[in-house]
Amino acid sequence: MKRRLAIAVVAVLPEIGCQNMPEPYAPPVQRPAVENFHPYRMQAIVSMSDDDAQTHFVQDLTPLATSTWRWTGQKPTIRLKARTGEDLRYSIDFVLPEANFRETGPVNIAFLVNDRVLDRVHYGSAGDQHFEKPIPEGWVTAGQDITVGAEVDKVTVDPQKGLKLGMVLVRIGITQ
Amino acid sequence: MRQAVAALFGAGFTVSACYAAGTLVIDRLGAALRRDERIPLAFVLGAACLHLLIFAILALHLGYWPVLVCALAAVIGTAVLTGAWRGTGVDSSKPVPPLSWSLRLVFGLCAGAFSIVYLVNAWAPEVSPDGSGYHLGLVARELRDHGFQPITTSLYAMLSQGVEMLYVPAFAIGRHSAAALVHFAFAMALALAILAYGRRIGKPWAGAAGALLTFASPVVGASGSAAYVDVATAAIVFAVFYWTEIWDEQKEMRLLIPVGLLAGYAYAAKYTAFTIGIYALLFVAWRSRRLRPISRSLRPVLLVAGCALIMAGPWMARNWIWYQNPFAPFGSWLFRNPYIHIIFEHDYSANLRTYYMPSLWPLPMELLVRGGATYGIIGPVFLLLPAALVALRYPAGRRLLLAGALVFSTYFANIGTRFLIPCLPFFSLAIGLAFAESVPLLGAMMVFHAVASWPPVMNRYVNLACWRLVRFPYKAALRITPPEKFLMENSYGYAGARLIEEHVPKGEPVLTMTGVADAYTTHEILVSFQSASNQNLAETVNMGWNIEVQPSVQRVFRFEARPARRMRVLQTAQAEYPEQWNVHELRFYYQGKELTRNASWRLRARPNPWEVQFAFDNSLATRWRSEEVAFPGMYLDADFGSEQMVDEVRLITSSDFERIRLRVESMNSANVWENVVENPKLEAATIPSAIRLMAVYEMRERGVRNLLIYDSNYGAAEFAKDPEAWGLKLVARGEDTRLYRTIW
Repeated sequence: MKRRLAIAVVAVLPEIGCQNMPEPYAPPVQRPAVENFHPYRMQAIVSMSDDDAQTHFVQDLTPLATSTWRWTGQKPTIRLKARTGEDLRYSIDFVLPEANFRETGPVNIAFLVNDRVLDRVHYGSAGDQHFEKPIPEGWVTAGQDITVGAEVDKVTVDPQKGLKLGMVLVRIGITQ
Repeated sequence: MRQAVAALFGAGFTVSACYAAGTLVIDRLGAALRRDERIPLAFVLGAACLHLLIFAILALHLGYWPVLVCALAAVIGTAVLTGAWRGTGVDSSKPVPPLSWSLRLVFGLCAGAFSIVYLVNAWAPEVSPDGSGYHLGLVARELRDHGFQPITTSLYAMLSQGVEMLYVPAFAIGRHSAAALVHFAFAMALALAILAYGRRIGKPWAGAAGALLTFASPVVGASGSAAYVDVATAAIVFAVFYWTEIWDEQKEMRLLIPVGLLAGYAYAAKYTAFTIGIYALLFVAWRSRRLRPISRSLRPVLLVAGCALIMAGPWMARNWIWYQNPFAPFGSWLFRNPYIHIIFEHDYSANLRTYYMPSLWPLPMELLVRGGATYGIIGPVFLLLPAALVALRYPAGRRLLLAGALVFSTYFANIGTRFLIPCLPFFSLAIGLAFAESVPLLGAMMVFHAVASWPPVMNRYVNLACWRLVRFPYKAALRITPPEKFLMENSYGYAGARLIEEHVPKGEPVLTMTGVADAYTTHEILVSFQSASNQNLAETVNMGWNIEVQPSVQRVFRFEARPARRMRVLQTAQAEYPEQWNVHELRFYYQGKELTRNASWRLRARPNPWEVQFAFDNSLATRWRSEEVAFPGMYLDADFGSEQMVDEVRLITSSDFERIRLRVESMNSANVWENVVENPKLEAATIPSAIRLMAVYEMRERGVRNLLIYDSNYGAAEFAKDPEAWGLKLVARGEDTRLYRTIW
């Protein structure tokens, strides 16, 4: 009986011992330190084609729009949440339409972050425009709402609706 | 309409192939069976054989529908050509008197009405939770992959799939409903087998009562008309018993082959049905005990065991090779593996034993008339179950009750009502036998059961949450109602599956805290609890909002500087369930500067060695967990590869454990552990503001970019409030779900 029991135990033991225990591991790839944790570049750009674009509007964005652009007034401004204050860039795409430009002539546009002038640019011709510039450190506080906008020095007036028209805005916001 | 026909054809073709395979085996064995018992027994025996054929096809990665169709057609063709289909030995069986007209009337009317309800429900688009979840989800995946693949992210994939193997060809031809119809065929076969058994023992009314009590049982109806496996398991289990009876009568050694094959197939269908194999072995051993020499008495037992191994062995082997555990997903405490956490298995099993019921005293009422907690009822007529003991006066009754008791013995491992289905045939027949001398009483009992189990009547007394048939969806069955509409209205997980199918790029997995109808999506669904890796992922993601598990505590050991090549932190206390030992990070310092981890380090942990790297990855969103209740002797061990000066050890942990006691040890030159310091100083740790981003970063690093959150999930509001804080973007919104995707 004892012999049989011993045989049974010997038969079962290898099965129990047959666990595939792993070899010791080397340390894995180290994740970035907490203070340098930026897994992706922030991009907070509001395109006029976005479904939720209107939720960002603060002022001077008119109802005159298609699915991809929108007429602005003199000082179009939007509100965004900045996840970080580091290495940010202001970015805007807009159009100065030929018809309006004929009326206003060359214009100066101020690009604004939190109502501070980031830059002023003189535009001597109509057409598609793009402006992009780094935002100085300290202008934006991480985690807080910021306003981003532009101010055109000369506008035309829509004869039918009486709206001031500054530029045709395609997208505006900040990137990293 | 084409879908409806395809479903019917897919099921019919598969069922025919099962029957054909069974008739071939029965003819080869020369078993003398009556036609009424041959049909169900051949179908079930053939199902066992066919399951092995389909297993082989999938193992060889030949799972293309033409291969499956040809294989099944070949089986049918062979049976027809050899005459096995019609049965050559049919007339050699012992004749029995024809069924009386009154029995035919009562049984035919009652069973006929339920058959129509079941057929229509099975034929309609599949909406059952597990059917459209893992049962057919796995079948669909195997067909997409044309074979088996190791799936370490779902404990359900580790279960044996004996019945699901038959769903493979049915699904390939007729999609989801075809599989449910195959299961319905098992329900029919079971009823016919019970009826036939009653005739075999000369108690046709007992057989009819047993058949109807089982067949019309509400939980049998709900399961038998969906792509589940419980009723099929019951049919297989009963077939094992039936073949032991045939062998006992005819005493032909070869008749033990179906006994063994079916006993093994019972295990392949559902682990808990292994007990019928024990019954078969005990019965055969008992009946053979007087054979001499002793080797002659052992031979029948060995034949049964060997045949059972043919059916069950492939599943055990698959699990051992792929999941390091032949009984996966259970028994991980014995066969330790990286796929199932031991404490999860403990929790899971504990839940299955109680279904969150504070006490089991209400269980009988739950099973008989309420059904809200255990999902379904067997019917109030089973209140008569104690009377089944009267059947002990018959030899057949004794055998039925013994087999039933053995099959029932595993019930308390999972008290869901449907886990009673495999023992219902035995208990139903025993009740029938108990009242066998009083035909009017049996007739009244059958009618009462039929009325009480009729869906509209049931609605009057069961709990609203009771799993039962609530529809007669003939329009959906015929596809007059578009399947999409029917599924959206009646399937809980279908909307989530469609959301995923429409918005997640092809081939990408989705993490979700609650399951969806896997069978309706081509994506891999990682349900939070279904495997160790899913649990880790879900815990990491939830680290973003769940304060209890965030890295809020530092346990700091300071000691006199000493050289060390290898150090470990040892846990010395015995905790109480469910307290585990958790470590987000383990760091070593000298003069305030952390030792840089490099490739020459070697890390070990006991237990759960597979996840030791979580404590050394520099991420505060991941943590190593013991995954067992903390016991003395657990450790985290770092071999530095060379001697280093160390004067401080720091663990960053959560605050969700109290009884843990820790000690730092260092290995000396004689390879002996020396105590360095105990009782760390506790300091508050700052939880990084970017913890949510870190959590999702980890998810993405592990190849998962999509997260489906139900509004009812814990933390759902935290994701919804500000997805970008997590690095997520809301991709789509369902009625009660949100689908997010990582921004980068």
